[in-house]
Amino acid sequence: MGTGQEETRDEDLMAQIATGDEEAFRQLIERHQDRVYGTVAKMLGGAGPDVEELAQEIFLRVWRAAPKYEVKAKFTTWLMTITRNLVFNFFESKEYKRKGLNEMSEDPGGIEERAGFSGRTAADDLAGKELAEAVERACAELPKTQRMVVHLRQYEGMEFGEIAKVMGMSLTGVKALMHRARENLRDKLSGYLGASNS
Amino acid sequence: MDKKSSDREEGLGKELEGLLAAVPPPKAPAWFAAKTMARLRTERAEERRIGWFWLPQWKWLAAGLGVTLLIFGVMRWDRSAMNISDAEVYAALNALVQEDEESRWWAGL
Repeated sequence: MGTGQEETRDEDLMAQIATGDEEAFRQLIERHQDRVYGTVAKMLGGAGPDVEELAQEIFLRVWRAAPKYEVKAKFTTWLMTITRNLVFNFFESKEYKRKGLNEMSEDPGGIEERAGFSGRTAADDLAGKELAEAVERACAELPKTQRMVVHLRQYEGMEFGEIAKVMGMSLTGVKALMHRARENLRDKLSGYLGASNS
Repeated sequence: MDKKSSDREEGLGKELEGLLAAVPPPKAPAWFAAKTMARLRTERAEERRIGWFWLPQWKWLAAGLGVTLLIFGVMRWDRSAMNISDAEVYAALNALVQEDEESRWWAGL
């Protein structure tokens, strides 16, 4: 995650991007592409052309917003706020509703690949794949706000205060969402939780 | 430290965190930055093309308006030049009548 130095560099890059510096923009993309792409993919339920296009659109928004960019919070908080806005807008779009909520998550091969199980034994693969699919499914079934909060906390390692800024909610609201997400996930993954205890 | 442990209690908990860690988010494909840059350049080129197209269009509109005004002015000027006085009309009519009379005289009518 970002250190103070990195934030300064991000801000410097944003200042350069505001003047139309494409090289600075490329650096910014390379630095944050996994974060943005991973967030979009987790929210949409798997990698695919929609994820790539949406992630590109997020960076193009950053380019367009650069002249008006003001340092009010950490750069990653601002970036994740743009990401949240576009992803939630996408959920509301006719295109997404037409495709159906779960179509994009029906990608068993993709799950295996993403979970990084290559090079294991067949038994490990089977167990790992089943677990990965169950976790993916449980996350995909969460309401979008809960899914976003879980992702920001679990994979981006954000503090609750930052998550509250990204979500445009109060700290209490975010913690309530996390509590509900935990209950939902515990419920859906109860079998695996029991297994991990034994 | 207290804050961190409090955050952990309000987070997913160790067990769930462990399970979710088994399915990390996918990384961006290797071509992602290059494709995004290409898309940016395409969009910027399109913006520039639209900008270039609009300016000459306004120039063409201005030129068209100028030509229209010119034609209108010439027509106005031409119409005033084509005014014929009453005397000229009478003179022409007289000449026709006289010619007709001369023709009749020669024909012995």
